[in-house]
Amino acid sequence: METIDIARLKSGEVNLGTSIMAVQFKDGVVVGADSRTTTGSYIANRVTDKLTHVHDRIYCCRSGSAADTQAIADIVHYYLQLHTSVSLPCLVPSPPTDLIACLLRQTSGEAPSVHTAATMFQKMCYDNKDALSAGIIVAGWDKEVGPSVYNIPLGGGLFRQPWAIGGSGSTYVYGYCDATYKEGWGRDETVEFVKNTLALAMSRDGSSGGVIRMCVITEDKVERLFVPGDQLPKFWQGKEVLGYDSKKDADVAAAVAMAVDA
Amino acid sequence: MDSLRIVPGREAKTATTQDTSNSFGLHDTLQYGPRSLAAEVSTNSNIKDRLENWEATQDNLKLQMHRQVFGLHMPMRLMMERKLASYNPHMPVLQQSNVHLDILMGRDETLDTADFMMPTSEMKQPLDIHADMEKKLRM
Repeated sequence: METIDIARLKSGEVNLGTSIMAVQFKDGVVVGADSRTTTGSYIANRVTDKLTHVHDRIYCCRSGSAADTQAIADIVHYYLQLHTSVSLPCLVPSPPTDLIACLLRQTSGEAPSVHTAATMFQKMCYDNKDALSAGIIVAGWDKEVGPSVYNIPLGGGLFRQPWAIGGSGSTYVYGYCDATYKEGWGRDETVEFVKNTLALAMSRDGSSGGVIRMCVITEDKVERLFVPGDQLPKFWQGKEVLGYDSKKDADVAAAVAMAVDA
Repeated sequence: MDSLRIVPGREAKTATTQDTSNSFGLHDTLQYGPRSLAAEVSTNSNIKDRLENWEATQDNLKLQMHRQVFGLHMPMRLMMERKLASYNPHMPVLQQSNVHLDILMGRDETLDTADFMMPTSEMKQPLDIHADMEKKLRM
């Protein structure tokens, strides 16, 4: 008699095999992700938005199982709204003493810090680690610290880093990121860095592709950037070999011939 | 209990008390008939445990989050309000509805199958008032 094993339902479920990254710069953070969601080899959604809003200046990038990360992001979003409703700004008249009125009060409370959001993500990922496969990068801007990026990989640890990459496509670009990243960049250089890294990851990883979505989060606003698939940065593509015109590129042909003989 | 579990985990059940046990802890033959193998063998079913513990797990998650945001008093007050609302001094009769408790539990605007599929006039259960009162007063 076959019994349904809940844990096994995970294989073949909708998967966010992905490339995500977040980089901190002087005035804010840039978060970016590809847009492919796969169920096995079928691309279930080729224009996914993996950059999830959890608060006004806090976004998270999701990788791993789509359902797991959506569930966690929803719970943390709820938690941060709860947190905002209690955190009263300093200049507020005497709060109501009645319990229900306190709860229903929609004050524009202080925004939670990115550390609070990241810690909540981390607690959820760790307490449910036997049931989840979720890798999350939390990034944002807050008043206490300014910009910050937190990486929460599969086991549920919390790591604050100046830049973080995640997802299946990230393994192909660790070298590029290590070699290219420099501190003290401004907004445009950071956006360029994120765009190039994601383009490289998407060109090598089968589970990443589509378009590049980015958010630039600063104190004033969140700006969404979109790079369609035909405008992705192109790197070494190789050369066309068939139909090669030897008369046109005689020098190159000679060079190649010499190389072969030698 | 301090954990933020989203879905019920798989628990290894070792010791269980039967549903048919009387006050001595043994099978109550007078009420339920002779012992049967089907009732006593317990198979570990993941999906059954998950479904049975679903609502309680979601409720615990919410209470744990309230504890983290508002303080230790909050889940205590919420549980106190629920206990007060569920106090019922009457004898267990067929039709019982508790709107106050439904509102506190957040299910005042949801319909379950039991709400529209089983007209209570047709639900004739043997009225064992003594057993029901015993269960109630011992709680």
